[in-house]
Amino acid sequence: MTGPPAGPAEPAADPAEQARAVIEYCYEQDWTDGLPVVPATRSGVEAFLATTERGPDEIIGSAPHLGRSITVAQAAANAIMAGCRPEYFPVVLAAWEAVNLERSARGAWQSTSGPAPLIAVNGPVRSRLGINYRGGVFGPGFRANATIARAIGLIVRNGYGIRPQELEQATQGLPGRWSVCLGENEELSPWEPFSVVGGVAPGVDAVSAILIRTCEYVDNRGTDSPEAVLTDFADTLARMGAYVGGGHSSGGLVLGPEHAQLFGRYGWSRADVQQWLFEHAVRDRADLVAAGKGGEDNPVSDPARAGTRFPMLPSARDIPILVAGAANAAMSMVFRPFGWAPWSGRSVPVAWPRALSQARYGN
Amino acid sequence: MFDSIIDPTIGAASGADRGPAALADRPETLSGLRLGLLANTKHNAEQFLDEVGRLLAEQHGVTAVVARKKPDITNTAPEPILDDLRGGCDIVVVGVGDCGSCSASAVADGIILEQSGIPAVVVCTEAFTASADAMAGLRGAPGYRYLTVPHPMANLTPDGVRDRARAAVPGIVGMLTRAAMAPVS
Repeated sequence: MTGPPAGPAEPAADPAEQARAVIEYCYEQDWTDGLPVVPATRSGVEAFLATTERGPDEIIGSAPHLGRSITVAQAAANAIMAGCRPEYFPVVLAAWEAVNLERSARGAWQSTSGPAPLIAVNGPVRSRLGINYRGGVFGPGFRANATIARAIGLIVRNGYGIRPQELEQATQGLPGRWSVCLGENEELSPWEPFSVVGGVAPGVDAVSAILIRTCEYVDNRGTDSPEAVLTDFADTLARMGAYVGGGHSSGGLVLGPEHAQLFGRYGWSRADVQQWLFEHAVRDRADLVAAGKGGEDNPVSDPARAGTRFPMLPSARDIPILVAGAANAAMSMVFRPFGWAPWSGRSVPVAWPRALSQARYGN
Repeated sequence: MFDSIIDPTIGAASGADRGPAALADRPETLSGLRLGLLANTKHNAEQFLDEVGRLLAEQHGVTAVVARKKPDITNTAPEPILDDLRGGCDIVVVGVGDCGSCSASAVADGIILEQSGIPAVVVCTEAFTASADAMAGLRGAPGYRYLTVPHPMANLTPDGVRDRARAAVPGIVGMLTRAAMAPVS
């Protein structure tokens, strides 16, 4: 060991040390979600802007109560920081638009519920950008999935200034708040793509978003009966804890391919599954009252319905179902939409710039 | 040192630069003043404000009460509601901020009314001071003072709500009448 070098400190010449200093600088500015960010530079933003025909100053989101608006260029800067590649940016913009279609997104980022966007991608873009849809879809491990979801979180944080324990008031939050982006496994789904349910033509790159409060697995590998698997799903969907009181609870499914194919083999459509679950995800009203979730102004205690079981979910249509993951075990994930408006039912096509070559960006 | 790095917090020029918010002058006494009550949709908020209104009339001589409920907990009250309050009231009580977004927006409502020259007191539960303070800063009134009440409010019985309102009245009167509402910078 020798002593420290004499004289004034020189800026680190080692590029790796410089990179580390930049990362520390971004932390000092309070620009990060706790993980390191990639610094956004003017040339970096220009490369992102070249992937969209939208102008840099176009406003793509507003929070009037905060007096803040988000521009395309600002979204680009935050997408860079999240670790996106330029060609992800059209998907980030579509995801942002999809999130903002959700009525529940209005107060979501400040809510004690602390919901996460579940971002689902359909179309050929999954393969072009390496958006994982085939295994371990809730992550981690895939740059596109991880960074597209993270970009949405950084836009909220830096664009709106909604930071934890300040304007953001999540009581506990949830694992993976800004990390849930998955492709639908269209190849192993027996049904039309989720984005087609959302109104976008088949084969078109599209993004859907649902705000969720958590996910819970249903592991059911022991049966070849669709009704048996559905019985298992209905039990989890009807869980009281997810019910806030007033209106109904909420629930959707990311089916593993094995469960999806079981339904397909027996001729069940997506709508059949939704209808069955709506009818069977019910509880005795007394259970809810016993848990303190049946106040007098609550539909649970509607005297006209006494003697019937309470449907936990608002309607068959309001049980979004998509298919993702590997066909290597029969398990699925129940997710819990935030608020009383489960999903807008609208997917957003990814807008690819005409000027860019098909070879690079497709469509 | 890193001048080429783009600040990701800078977006469109919007209402973000409002400048400092001027707060309304306080009256010496509430006697004879017209009271406004601005409720959000949170459970027990209207019951709380109704009881505050009743007590202010009984104990402090406020007169006509204009009660309005805004439709959305996240955003500030819509202009027609604000206009009703501006036109019909001399003082306003806003509440109850007892969630992440509604506490912040209640503070924003209060500051908007202050800027119209109407002394306002915002009631938030003590759990949401960080969110309320952050909004005060965004609205150009860092240090804006509001009344905190114990948390939670939503699970109180009707009697509990009345007790909570009774306990809050002295603080509400103090904030509406004294000149100590200026931002503490």
